[in-house]
Amino acid sequence: MAASSSSSSSSSNLLLLLLISSLDWLSTPGFAFLMARDHMTSSAPLEPHFTECISRDQETFRCWWSPGSFHNLSSPGALRVFYLKKDSPTSKWKECPEYIHSNRECFFDVNHTSVWIPYCMQLRSKNNVTYFNEDDCFTVENIVRPDPPVSLNWTLLNISPSGLSYDVMVNWEPPPSADVEAGWMRIEYEIQYRERNTTNWEALEMQPHTQQTIYGLNIGKEYEVHIRCRMLAFTKFGEFSDSIFIQVTEIPSKESTFLLTLVLVFGAVGILILIVLIVVSQQHRLMMILLPPVPAPKIKGIDPELLKKGKLDELNFILSGGGMGGLSTYAPDFYQDEPWVEFIEVDAEDADAGEKEDNQSSDTQRLLGLPQPVSHHMNIGCSNAISFPDNDSGRASCYDPDLPNQDTLMLMATLLPGQPEDEEAAFDLVERPPAPERPLVQTQTGGPQTWINTDFYAQVSNVMPSGGVVLSPGQQLRIQESTSATEEETQQNVKEPKGGEDTEEKKLKELRFQLLVVDPEGSGYTTESNARKISTPPSSPMPGDGYQTIHPQPVETKPAATAEDNQSPYILPDSPQTQLFAPVADYTVVQEVDSQHSLLLNPPSRQSPPPCLPQPPLKALPAMPIGYITPDLLGNLSP
Amino acid sequence: MSQSSKSVALLLLTLVLLELSMRVGTAPICAHGQAGCHVPSLADLFDRVIQQSSRMHGISSDLHSEFEQYFFPSKNLVGKRKCHTNGILTPDDKENAQRIGREQLTEVILRLLGSWGDPLSQLYHSMSQDQNQDFNHYSSNKALEISDVVHELRDGVAKMAEKMKLLGVLGNTVGYISPESLVPSSTFSFYKQGELNSMDHHDLLYCFRRDSNKVKNYLRILKCTTLPELDC
Repeated sequence: MAASSSSSSSSSNLLLLLLISSLDWLSTPGFAFLMARDHMTSSAPLEPHFTECISRDQETFRCWWSPGSFHNLSSPGALRVFYLKKDSPTSKWKECPEYIHSNRECFFDVNHTSVWIPYCMQLRSKNNVTYFNEDDCFTVENIVRPDPPVSLNWTLLNISPSGLSYDVMVNWEPPPSADVEAGWMRIEYEIQYRERNTTNWEALEMQPHTQQTIYGLNIGKEYEVHIRCRMLAFTKFGEFSDSIFIQVTEIPSKESTFLLTLVLVFGAVGILILIVLIVVSQQHRLMMILLPPVPAPKIKGIDPELLKKGKLDELNFILSGGGMGGLSTYAPDFYQDEPWVEFIEVDAEDADAGEKEDNQSSDTQRLLGLPQPVSHHMNIGCSNAISFPDNDSGRASCYDPDLPNQDTLMLMATLLPGQPEDEEAAFDLVERPPAPERPLVQTQTGGPQTWINTDFYAQVSNVMPSGGVVLSPGQQLRIQESTSATEEETQQNVKEPKGGEDTEEKKLKELRFQLLVVDPEGSGYTTESNARKISTPPSSPMPGDGYQTIHPQPVETKPAATAEDNQSPYILPDSPQTQLFAPVADYTVVQEVDSQHSLLLNPPSRQSPPPCLPQPPLKALPAMPIGYITPDLLGNLSP
Repeated sequence: MSQSSKSVALLLLTLVLLELSMRVGTAPICAHGQAGCHVPSLADLFDRVIQQSSRMHGISSDLHSEFEQYFFPSKNLVGKRKCHTNGILTPDDKENAQRIGREQLTEVILRLLGSWGDPLSQLYHSMSQDQNQDFNHYSSNKALEISDVVHELRDGVAKMAEKMKLLGVLGNTVGYISPESLVPSSTFSFYKQGELNSMDHHDLLYCFRRDSNKVKNYLRILKCTTLPELDC
């Protein structure tokens, strides 16, 4: 008991001593080696001893020795190596099979190497002094330190989305000396890395595969990586391999994507600018295609600005002859850039008082420039070569806007509604026709002249800047030609009880001068009586086609005409009922507008005068201005 | 008393079941090709066996190193240890292992494994009964684990040998090796009868570590000579 207690106490003391000493040894990096050393060396003068025995492939091994402090034994051959291989109880010490004196190394080749069998090493001097340490016994598998792996290299795995860190895959080959393929050695590897110029290595977990990932390296920093290996389930590592350096700088791919986006943006902007330029350069064409211009009212010689809404005063002023130029010949031309604009001019024609057959070339025809038996000047002047075909006439008619007709201006003045004070001036103007003896209204001074077919009834389809009123073809023309587009207009207002009144119609055809007249108190159309006055000059019911212009004529100047006109087959409505039986296909006279805003028309056949009657007045067309006729004006013009 | 006996019986029952389940192994192998059971190939068997041998060697190395650290042996007793398996002739290097052929190699493996079954269980019992040291309590579990691994490995190698015989890779010279025939009782009496002290433990662990390394290497050489295309 006492012995055991003492032994236990001594062992515990020894244990304590060893613990304390081991703490010191642990702090030094070569702790394991020193431990081994302490096992191999004695305390006082350093005997010759073995420094290390290492096997690299578990098939051979080497041992190095040192003479210690016995320098006299340092010469080669002074010390001899002996080993004991304890494979049998009767084993003996043998000398080193192969010396390498330059290294003080003893090499044991394959034939002399056995695994799992204890070897003991011993140094002997020439005088048979043996230096042997019990600690110098080992088994080969326990002294294996594999060579470092070879072919160490790395590949970039990925980069973090922030672009600050990246992962790297490191791969290598096992050491060629280790027979891993036969399975004789199983090796596990340890990677260590550190930032360049730092001292602490980061060690990754040991694993037996020949590749490993290093995570979380920082962009821009340079890293040093090396590797070592050891046998599986053993403790001794081989040496480190040579270091490789890993560095990844800023990623250029971001720049390339940035450049790509920049290029795309600029390309898109350039294309947009190109499109805008094309649109701007072809603006007019595009506007023409998308928004075709609507013809605006145009009167020859009058600024189209005045024709807009609300400027009636100025227009009246101009038409009445005031202001600069007005409707005179020297009025500025406002429509130079619109060559397609046409203004039908009306000329006063030498009256051919005769049969209507003699006047086959009605005013309308003349107006339209059709070939006529009577040689009349036709106004075929055009401002340019382009003739604008008129739908109603079926024939192109041109107009030279440079020569406004004073008469037309006057007519316009008179035709303007609600301007009673201008009527005098209008009448004055009317009374000052340049050629009163001329039955035709001169639309152009000195130019070819046209005269209109002074049918009484006509539809005003347009008003020219010069003052000429564009009329639709008369009923005679329509009935004779049996084609009309304007029939529907009149038929809207008229219920035609055709039948027994055809004969009357025929008469009326010849006689009548179609004029769509409306009650002057109404919307501004002329009344029948007013229309009569208007149409006094052109009284011949010529089967003219196309347009007929209305010339308001003073009652005083043309009494004869008016007288004849009075006998014109105008229809004076006696009763609204008669209107319903108007045989007029195209035109009729609107007497009044009843309460429901329906037009009450006059039957055209009521007052069919002798056929010869209307001719002279129609033919005796005075030079009258062409233009609008307002109810007020017509009221004054009525006889 | 009845209650205690009942509890003891229950405990014994659970222990027996536990031991049986542990002996079955980590994964059942269908040796006879039963329906619904995946019959492992020779490569699979090799893989399992080699894994087990690596594990066995790893645990034995850990145990041995812990022993050495705990006890701080003042001497290096490498040359002085004697193991009871020294009588088994084993190839000492790679060429010899490759030279003796598959049949002999397999036989050596089986001998080695068979000779360690009993000593390891004895070691476990001895370590678990040693109440003076905490280390024994901690490492007795590992000793138990090692003994189980050895048993499994021996069964696995036997199955693998049977498969190799079936495939004609292995000659018929390798018969079933019973553990009793492997280890003569004289060698087992190498150790003290009865209680084993810690030095005996240490010796046993050292010897077992060496032998497990042998088994591991032999198995790997066997695999690479039989199926060289697989990971060799």
